[in-house]
Amino acid sequence: MKIKVLSIFLVLSIVLTGCGLTALKEPPISVGDGLDRQIQLDAPAARIISLSPPITEMLFAIGAGAQVVARDSFSDYPAEALDLPDIGGGFSEYDLETIIALDPDLVIAGSIQTPELVQSLEELGLTVFYLANPVDLEGMLDAIRTLGKISAHNSEAEDLIAKLAARIQAVDEALENITPVTIFYELDATDPAKPYTPGPGSFYSHLIGRAGGENIGDQLDTEWAQAGLEFILVNDPKFILLGDAMWGTTPESVAARPGWEALTAVREGRVLPFDDNLLARIGPRQVEGLEALAKIFHPEVFE
Amino acid sequence: MKKLVRPLLILMLVLTACMLLSVGVGSVFIPPGQIYSVMGAALTGQVLEGDAEKYHVILLSLRLPRTLLMALTGAALAGSGAAYQGLFRNPLADPYLIGAASGAGLGAVIALSMNWASSPLGFLAIPMAAFLTALATVWLVYQIARTGKTIPVTNLILAGVAVSSFATALTSFLMINASGELRRAVVWLLGGSTLAGWKPLVAQLPYTIIGLGILLAMSYRLNVLQFGDEQAGQLGINVPLSRGWIVFAATLATSAAVAFTGIIGFVGLVVPHIFRNWIGGDARRLLPLSLIGGAIFLLVADILSRVLMAPQELPVGIITALCGAPFFLLILQKARKEMW
Repeated sequence: MKIKVLSIFLVLSIVLTGCGLTALKEPPISVGDGLDRQIQLDAPAARIISLSPPITEMLFAIGAGAQVVARDSFSDYPAEALDLPDIGGGFSEYDLETIIALDPDLVIAGSIQTPELVQSLEELGLTVFYLANPVDLEGMLDAIRTLGKISAHNSEAEDLIAKLAARIQAVDEALENITPVTIFYELDATDPAKPYTPGPGSFYSHLIGRAGGENIGDQLDTEWAQAGLEFILVNDPKFILLGDAMWGTTPESVAARPGWEALTAVREGRVLPFDDNLLARIGPRQVEGLEALAKIFHPEVFE
Repeated sequence: MKKLVRPLLILMLVLTACMLLSVGVGSVFIPPGQIYSVMGAALTGQVLEGDAEKYHVILLSLRLPRTLLMALTGAALAGSGAAYQGLFRNPLADPYLIGAASGAGLGAVIALSMNWASSPLGFLAIPMAAFLTALATVWLVYQIARTGKTIPVTNLILAGVAVSSFATALTSFLMINASGELRRAVVWLLGGSTLAGWKPLVAQLPYTIIGLGILLAMSYRLNVLQFGDEQAGQLGINVPLSRGWIVFAATLATSAAVAFTGIIGFVGLVVPHIFRNWIGGDARRLLPLSLIGGAIFLLVADILSRVLMAPQELPVGIITALCGAPFFLLILQKARKEMW
C-alpha cells in the first residue's frame, strides 16, 4: 500500500516537473526597446554582453550576473564585473571581433551607444536590445523589470523593485511637508570659473527634486550646462554639492576660487563632497543616493 | 613607360601583402589555415557551423570590407593630394586645402546635432550630409576665387583657407551647443570609422572610381598646367576648364572618403611626396603610384591602429599623423642633403 502511494507520488511529481519545464520553455519573450522595436527572444538570454555600466550593474543586482559574458570598459561595478572580458568603449571603438567570438545571444546597448553601432551589430547577425536611459526613479525600476524579463530573473527583479519602491516611498512621505532648499551640484570644474552642472530633464535634477532640493541648474537651458559664478551668486544656493570630489575638488579648493567666498554656502560651510556614482549610475544605488541627498537637505526630518 | 611598370608591379605586390595581413590581423586570432578554408567555403557557398561560422562573420563582414574601405580611402586621399600639389604648384597642398575636410566636418556635425540618424536615411544620413557639404564648401571656395574667367591659384588657396576657418568655427559652435552627441562627433573628426560591413564601401565606391578615373585621365594636362597658366594656354589647353575638372574630381574622391572614414590627415601630403622623391613629378607616373601607395600607407596605419592597444582600437587618423609626420620630416631631411 505504502509503495503504491509512493509510486503515485513519484509519477505525479515527474509529470508535474515535466509540465513545469515545458511551461518554462514555452512563451517566447517579447519586449519593447528604446528604439521603438519589439525584440523577440525564443529563450531567456543566457549569454549577454552589456555595453554600459548601468546595464551591467542592474543585471548583477537581479542575480543575472552569471549570464553576462562581457562588458564595456566603463562597467566597474560590482567588482565581479571587472573579471569579465572588456570589449571596449570610451573614445576607442568597440571590439566587434571579440563580441562575435564570444557568441552572445543578446547584446544590451544603452543611450551612450550610437544608432550606427546598433545597426552594425544587427547586420553582423546579433540580437541587440536598446535600453534607453530612464530619467526618473520610476523609469529606473521599469528598466530593472525589463532586464528581469529578458534574463528570466522576474521574481528577483520584482523583489528588488518592491524593496527599492518602499525606500523611495519612505523618502517621499518623510518629505511631504518640507520647503525645498536650493542646491548647486557641481559635475566638473575643469574650468573653475564655469563649472558644469546638471540642467533640466537630467536624472540628477530629478533626484535632487525628489530629495527635497531645488536644483538651480534647472533654470539653464541644456541637460548638461555650464554655470558661471554670476549665475551661482544670483541664486545663492543653500548647499553646494561636489560631484567632482573624486577628481580632487574639495570644499577648500572651492573656497579658494576667486569670488566664491561671497556665496552663503561657502561662508557657512555647506559645501560638501558627494559620491557622484550614487547619482550618475542609473540603478539600485540611486536610491541610496536619494536617501543621502534627503538627509543632507533636511536633516531635521530624519532624526 | 618602363619607369612606370616596374614600380607599379612592386607596389601591387606590397599592396597584396598588406591586404592579406589586414585580413589576417585582428583582436580575435584566427589560424591561417582556418582563414583559407573559411574564405574557400564562402566562395563556394558552403554552410559553416561552430567556430567556422563565427570566423566567417569576422572575416567577411568585418575584416574584408574594412580592408577594402581603407585601401580605397588611402588611394582617394593620396591621389587627390598628388593632383592638388601639382595643380597648385604648392608642396603643402593636401586634399583638405580648399575646404573638403572642414566642409565635411560641418555637415556631419549638423546631421548629428539635428539627429538625422533617426531619419529614414538611417545611418547613411551622416556620411551623406558630410559628402554634400564638402562638395558645397569647395564649390563656394571656387566661386569666391573666380575672377572673371580665370581662377588664380593664390585666390583659390586664400579663399580655401578663409572658408575652411569659417566652417571650422561653425562646427565648433554647433559642437558646444549639441549636448550628448559630442562623443560621436569627436570620434568621427579623429578619423574613426563608426560603420562596419559592406554598406559604406558600396556607397563610397562609385564616387572614388569616378573621381580617380577623371584624375588619371587628366594627368597629361596636369603636367602641362605646371608650366603656368599662360604657357599651358599656348600649348592648347583650356586652363579654367582643366583646372575645374581636376578640382571637381579630387573633391569628389576626397569628400566620399572623408564622409565614410572621418578626417584622416597626412596621407594626401606624405604619400605623393615620397613618390615625387622616388620617380619625379611626372603626373602620368606620380598619380597611379600615389594611388597604390596611399592604399598601402592607410592599410598599414589601420593594422597598427588595431594592434597597438588591442583590444582597444585607436582612430586611424591619430596613427597616420603620428607615423606620417616624422616620416615626412625624415624625407625632407634626406632630400635636402641630396640637394646640397
